[in-house]
Amino acid sequence: MTANLTKAEFDVYRYDPTKDAKPRYQRYTLELAPHTPVLSALLQIRAEVDPSLSLRYSCRHAICGSCAMQINSKSRLACQTQIGPEMAKHGRIVIEPMRNQPVIRDLVVDQSPFWRQYDRIEPHLKLDPAHPMPVGQPTSMSPEEVERFKETPRCIACGACYSACPAVESDPEFPGPMALAKLYRFVVDPRDHAHQDRLLRIQPGGLWLCLRCHLCTESCPKDVRPSERIRDLKELAITAQGATEHGSRHAVGFKDNLPDAGVLNEMKLVRQTYGLVGTLGQLGQGIRIYRKKPEILRKPHPIQGVEEVRKIYRALDREEGKE
Amino acid sequence: MRIAYYPGCVAQESGKELDMATRYVARAFGIELVEFPSFSCCGSGFIDEANEALNIAINARNLAIAEKAGLDILTICSTCQGMLTLANLRMQDPSMRARVDGALKPLGIEYRGTVKVKHLLRVLTEDVGLAAVKAKVRRPLAGMKVGAFYGCHLLRPGDEMAWEDGEEPHAFEDLLAAIGATPVDYRGRVMCCGFPIQFVKPETASRVGGRQILDAKAHGADAMATPCPLCHISLDAYQNKASKAVQAPLDMPIFHLPQLVGLAIGASPEDMGLARHLVPTQPALAKVSAPAR
Repeated sequence: MTANLTKAEFDVYRYDPTKDAKPRYQRYTLELAPHTPVLSALLQIRAEVDPSLSLRYSCRHAICGSCAMQINSKSRLACQTQIGPEMAKHGRIVIEPMRNQPVIRDLVVDQSPFWRQYDRIEPHLKLDPAHPMPVGQPTSMSPEEVERFKETPRCIACGACYSACPAVESDPEFPGPMALAKLYRFVVDPRDHAHQDRLLRIQPGGLWLCLRCHLCTESCPKDVRPSERIRDLKELAITAQGATEHGSRHAVGFKDNLPDAGVLNEMKLVRQTYGLVGTLGQLGQGIRIYRKKPEILRKPHPIQGVEEVRKIYRALDREEGKE
Repeated sequence: MRIAYYPGCVAQESGKELDMATRYVARAFGIELVEFPSFSCCGSGFIDEANEALNIAINARNLAIAEKAGLDILTICSTCQGMLTLANLRMQDPSMRARVDGALKPLGIEYRGTVKVKHLLRVLTEDVGLAAVKAKVRRPLAGMKVGAFYGCHLLRPGDEMAWEDGEEPHAFEDLLAAIGATPVDYRGRVMCCGFPIQFVKPETASRVGGRQILDAKAHGADAMATPCPLCHISLDAYQNKASKAVQAPLDMPIFHLPQLVGLAIGASPEDMGLARHLVPTQPALAKVSAPAR
């Protein structure tokens, strides 16, 4: 039964901030079947080679969400990632702790930034005090209402998306994909009474910092597709509350810019987003760019058939009547 | 091959050098670019945030224009690629299709869903093929270490873009190797340039872009190359801000993908519009050690 074993080389991140000046990578070489999960390999290392290796895990079945880590630079559950394809692609398997959170030891991180952002969205139902849920009786939801949750109830809060997110990496104010996917889940819940308040409160320093890079959707072990739900939240926020932030003003400004010529008028968009005073603040950078690329000031020629674009707007744009 | 050319807004205005380089490369490889002055903007992901159905509809109109001519679409921008591909996909959903058709049919426009949307990177690596690219190289970029920078929407969501791996692509590196350059492996190559939030929170946007340039630099890149003019704006035109945000000098020349291909097959820096860049490209060109052949 030892046929088909493959040599697997692991370079595992080791760091004890209380003792080590800096992190190091330790090489472990094992003979394993290609379908072996990375988690099993790490547990074998701990059991047979090096009992000092620290990691978090529990269920081994992609249910508990404890063993998220960076595997060859991708955010993954160790229990759900097989060694064969990783060895085939990279010739070795680099194991690192999740990103965007401080390391406690080796592969164990302090997840409090992640949970703080989860708390921020107040992840519990807020009921209408005038219509409390009947005690002792089930409440029912129609299939259509359940459908609106999309994939969000599948989230196991493993943090893989938080670790993958470049917005979190560069701005700790950003709530991160998991918190926003959870927020979406409450914003479409028919039992929740605080939809508008939730949308209002998540916009400053929150929703509009998403970069739409889709790395969260790529790394999610449960296909929750947070980036797509963040898009939905943006449209819900704009629909209900209009353009209240730089982000929503830019999205709405871009939309309203297009019927002019069918292509973008870059200068007009800057004014739409920043207003006149804000635009003056962009002047220095604008002049730098203008020297090399004078087209930035040019008003674009309308495309052929721009009238068709305007008619599509009349059919589908909610705000068309306001212009 | 004949293909409908969808240059996108930026390449027709502030990113004109990308359009120049694309035309040069297309001519050299016998790609006939069919132009449609009726193509509109793709919405750049921003209209999608404000109104999904509207975004799908304006892109379905673009797709229908190419379909009527019996052509697939060539894009030169990761975001255009993403938005047109998304429209193709979302039109398969019956309720979205009904809404969009409701807006398009009264205009006599119908999109049947037959158009493939392909970025230049894909056309060069798959349709033209790496061997044919290699055969045309007259001045290999040997000695120049280049960090490919993909741009998010060319790759992700990976299951929807359905081309390369969403996190571990290799087409761009393959192309760079074919023109004699040395591709640099770095994590930032599949990360975000920061562009989408340049208008929301410029400091954060610049930090995101600056990180990727620093990463490429730390891995020895002499230059970076991108298949997306929006990434180019972030990494080149706003590199001064990125440098401030990460508190480090960057001085990283940023090429558009077809500029490097053009230079390798014999184009001059003038042909490729290199003087239009904000960060000088000369230091990277000076690394090229191989003689022209």
